[in-house]
Amino acid sequence: MSEAVATGRWRRDTELPFQRLDEETIVVDPRSREVHLLNETAGRIWELLAKPLSLDDLVATMAEEYDADAAELRAEITECLSGLSDKALVLAAGGAR
Amino acid sequence: MTLNARPTALALARDADGGPTCDDSAVVGMESAHEIVGRVQSKASAQMVPLNVSFELTLNCNIRCLHCYNLDRDEPRPAVASASGCGAPKQELSLEERLALLQNLRDAGTLFVGFTGGEVLTSPHLFPMLDRARELNIAVQVLTNGTMLHPGMASRLAAYRNITGVSISIYGATPDVHDGITQIPGSWRRTWDGARRMRRLGVAVRLKFIVMHQNAHETAAMRAAASAEDFPYTVDVTITPRHDGTRGSLVTRMDDGQLEELYRGPLRDMVPAGKRQMTEERFSCNCARGNCAISAYGDVYPCIAVPWAAGNVREQPFIDIWRESPVFQRIRGLRIADYPACAPCADKPYCSRNRGAAFNYSGDYTGVDPFVCKTAAITRAIATEPQPSD
Repeated sequence: MSEAVATGRWRRDTELPFQRLDEETIVVDPRSREVHLLNETAGRIWELLAKPLSLDDLVATMAEEYDADAAELRAEITECLSGLSDKALVLAAGGAR
Repeated sequence: MTLNARPTALALARDADGGPTCDDSAVVGMESAHEIVGRVQSKASAQMVPLNVSFELTLNCNIRCLHCYNLDRDEPRPAVASASGCGAPKQELSLEERLALLQNLRDAGTLFVGFTGGEVLTSPHLFPMLDRARELNIAVQVLTNGTMLHPGMASRLAAYRNITGVSISIYGATPDVHDGITQIPGSWRRTWDGARRMRRLGVAVRLKFIVMHQNAHETAAMRAAASAEDFPYTVDVTITPRHDGTRGSLVTRMDDGQLEELYRGPLRDMVPAGKRQMTEERFSCNCARGNCAISAYGDVYPCIAVPWAAGNVREQPFIDIWRESPVFQRIRGLRIADYPACAPCADKPYCSRNRGAAFNYSGDYTGVDPFVCKTAAITRAIATEPQPSD
């Protein structure tokens, strides 16, 4: 999964209902009957994935916003993206490179 | 950086109180995730974010229920005075007004919208509104009598992935009883067909049983029918006066004897066990805190059961009404002590404190409806009487 995460382009499932409440983002998946709570940074990834982006794109954008070690940031974004992908909240957008 | 997700098994939803006090679940429709939704609801309520909105798309209906809370369908629609002094029928919101309002709700923090009526499937605005809700990533629950969920309609609805479910009202276990209440022969069959059809298409369906004088004897059978097909359901025993001020609906209310028989019989498991305590938190509801409703005419209510207009979206932006209206400010400031009949009442811990019933019956949000009081007294008596094993 992490290889796919690292090489693919991703975007959020645009039909899923969501809303931001404070620092959290609530994502509703009516078909799986699940509601997900994304913390602030996962919510930021969700927000950025309104358009297709690669892991590198996400890391580059978020590195400018967060004061964090680059390797650590990349690992955390990878883990989060994997989690979102496992739940089918984000989808492969094609354009693997 | 964690993704918190908690899948839970779909549970049967049964209203212990039997009343839509502030029935978030009717708008949210995600019982399977009730814990995480509950946490979000509490947060929205504490921060006064209108997370849930009931949105009335029409008052038109294709059935004529004896207990309808909207209006007396044998009477002309309410009129408003015009500049010429002539009364003109009130105009329901236009599609353009509703589409714009949906955007306003999204901006205000709304996530869950319940489209309701009248019968919402009769509204030509339904699908344009569903389209816009999908674009805005708003979750939608459709509240319907189910009779128009024919194959074409059902398939069209099922294509919307932002629909969290369909809530369908049923008034009997047999066609004669149900159709006698809706006054439309064949409605019971069409409603059940619609419920099953939606579920086959992968849409969550929740049944809502309204128990009244005419169908109380079928309560057990209604519940059994839902259980046999594994439909989640709620039971509501409170019939309210109508929002147009008429009281013809009250002829369908159960009498005290029926009510007690029901709670000692087929609804015995809904009586809370043992003694309970009432707290400010339990007594308050989500009205005007995390919930509100938009009437067909654009009035903003604290919830769909309480037609106490805090303002009208034709005259004032929704967000201003939500934040500043005196009606909502008053509701948000209420404490138990502000409810003169409830504050000293010993039955309070067993009471649904059904705001809709209280408001429609007494004209006062802090008033009472004797039927609700009686229900509380009965459930308290049953809950606290010695059990055979005691």
